[in-house]
Amino acid sequence: MNELLAHFKQLTPTGYLFWILAFVTVLSAIVVVTARNPIHSVLALIATFFCLSGHYVLLNAQFLAAVNIIVYAGAIMVLFLFTIMFLNLRKEDEESKTSLAKIAAVIVGGTLMVLMLGIFKAAQVGSYNAIAFDAKTGLVENLGMVLYGDYLLPFELASVLFLVAMVGAVMLGKREAGDRHF
Amino acid sequence: MLPIILLSVFGIALLFLGFAKSKAILLPATLLFIAIAFGASFVDWGKNYMYFNDMLLSTNLSIAFTAIVLLSAFMVVSLSSSFLEDESAQPAEYYAIMLFSLVGAIMMISFENLIMLFVGVEILSVAMYVLTGSDKRNLRSNEAALKYFLMGSFATGIMLFGLALLYGTSGSFVLSDLRSYVNGGVAYGSPLLLYMGLLLLLVGILFKVSAAPFHFWTPDVYEGAPTLFTAFMSTVVKTAGFAALLRLLSFSFTGIYSFWGVILMAVTVITLVVSNFTAVYQSSFKRMMAYSSISHAGYLLIALTAVGQQSKQALVFYSLAYSVATIAAFGVLLVVSRHQSGEGKPTDESYDAFNGLARQNPLLGFIMTVAMLSLAGIPLTAGFWGKFMVFTTAANRGIFWLLVVAVLMSAVSIYYYFRVIIAMYLRDGQTTAIRVAPFYRYVLIAATILTIVLGILPNLVRSLV
Repeated sequence: MNELLAHFKQLTPTGYLFWILAFVTVLSAIVVVTARNPIHSVLALIATFFCLSGHYVLLNAQFLAAVNIIVYAGAIMVLFLFTIMFLNLRKEDEESKTSLAKIAAVIVGGTLMVLMLGIFKAAQVGSYNAIAFDAKTGLVENLGMVLYGDYLLPFELASVLFLVAMVGAVMLGKREAGDRHF
Repeated sequence: MLPIILLSVFGIALLFLGFAKSKAILLPATLLFIAIAFGASFVDWGKNYMYFNDMLLSTNLSIAFTAIVLLSAFMVVSLSSSFLEDESAQPAEYYAIMLFSLVGAIMMISFENLIMLFVGVEILSVAMYVLTGSDKRNLRSNEAALKYFLMGSFATGIMLFGLALLYGTSGSFVLSDLRSYVNGGVAYGSPLLLYMGLLLLLVGILFKVSAAPFHFWTPDVYEGAPTLFTAFMSTVVKTAGFAALLRLLSFSFTGIYSFWGVILMAVTVITLVVSNFTAVYQSSFKRMMAYSSISHAGYLLIALTAVGQQSKQALVFYSLAYSVATIAAFGVLLVVSRHQSGEGKPTDESYDAFNGLARQNPLLGFIMTVAMLSLAGIPLTAGFWGKFMVFTTAANRGIFWLLVVAVLMSAVSIYYYFRVIIAMYLRDGQTTAIRVAPFYRYVLIAATILTIVLGILPNLVRSLV
């Protein structure tokens, strides 16, 4: 406990910002899982995404922060909301999980959490040279150079992934009659 | 590299061919495309090329796995003539998605950068989710697709977390950097994050190849998916997954073998025991094949824990033997169940569907028998040599307890494979003579001949790798 207090006393403003953001992120993520009303869940998810964007800014990834808000907090969340409104999930579904499954899930999840906490506590995290660090690392220009230079191949092949998803969505969405036997 | 580019372009070309009035051109076009990619994959034979800033590495081993995957895809596609007879099916889309999924499989086989592994796994998985749900009117197919999708995305998330941790400790996604980090890093301290990252990454890939504690999706998905795509899934996805595991573990992480070797051996034992005993109790042939594919994942894992040239040969040979036999078995099931629905009977995918099949259809009976014998590992079939090589890798390292478990379990497997043979030859049934299209028949015969030839002359393939 004293170690923790000592840690907080020597924090810089950025450090405080990190702790506040981390707290809000975890809190809103817990609300996403526990909220009964799906709309509340989605709103908490939006809050989580905004907090994550804050983390990106702290990590010097400004472009990623902006894209995260536009794509996830903007487009994808609107889709989520639409789906929930169309599906009309107002009524509360009864819990279908048996208590045995719940206990097993708690044991497995808890083990993973303890493992993670222990490992993060004991891990040696790499350091960086603050003087030689390029503050423009996270800007579009550098990102573009990396994406179209070193990572050209996975960047292009990611388009195959989207093409598969698009073709699949159109195929599954098309109306058709009759069954099939193959 | 060449097959990746070719297959991406061919997939788009197929989507455009789908606009043509006649659908008859699609099947030969797809077969031609896969054959061209198959030929193109051998361009780099004998050379080790690194492509695009350490993104892909083509070696003889990766070419061998690519060839197995493309061969399986060729055989599965050639069994798909029923697409074209079906008015409501959309063959162009199916073929295009299959070609794109092969791009993902080849990326998994020859990756050098972990990002390529991730994109490859995703391409393959998304394509499989779609194909599983392609029988839209069938409730089982919908359920299977949704189940596969939800669990698969969860596994992908775990895998991605593992990749992030690996990057966090070593500062690189490149396999050779990871290797030098592992070999130097363990010396000065225990890099716990590396262990955690590798563990989560293994969980993700073991889910995709359906090893035992992560196998619960397999029977439902294999049963719900259209049979043709089940054959595709159980061969292409499994081969690509094991090629990825082999590349990852035998190159980068040999330094911490004591860590992952134990985990994989535990997974192997669980996989073998659970799958073989559960398969005995199945009444549906397709479900039995699902559990059989889980058990074969167990045998492949034995070879994986032996790092070295021998394990590479064993994995290549076993994947080939398993893929060919599985496709032949599903091919016969496909003909039989289509024949039943053509006669107006409800589609039956239990063992009873094969009752008395061999009386009127000696050829189909023989093909199925050889496939089952090969899967069970009976001598004079390719499956025997596959199992033999896998067991040799364990015996050479002196791990006899694992060997005993594996041999006992393959004895159990003989029971459920022979149930099919007994149903075909000894039970009475009303199956009439089934007309099989010539090309379809040639492919099944070729698979059978390949199984027998490899069973007599295993060095044909073994000496290549």
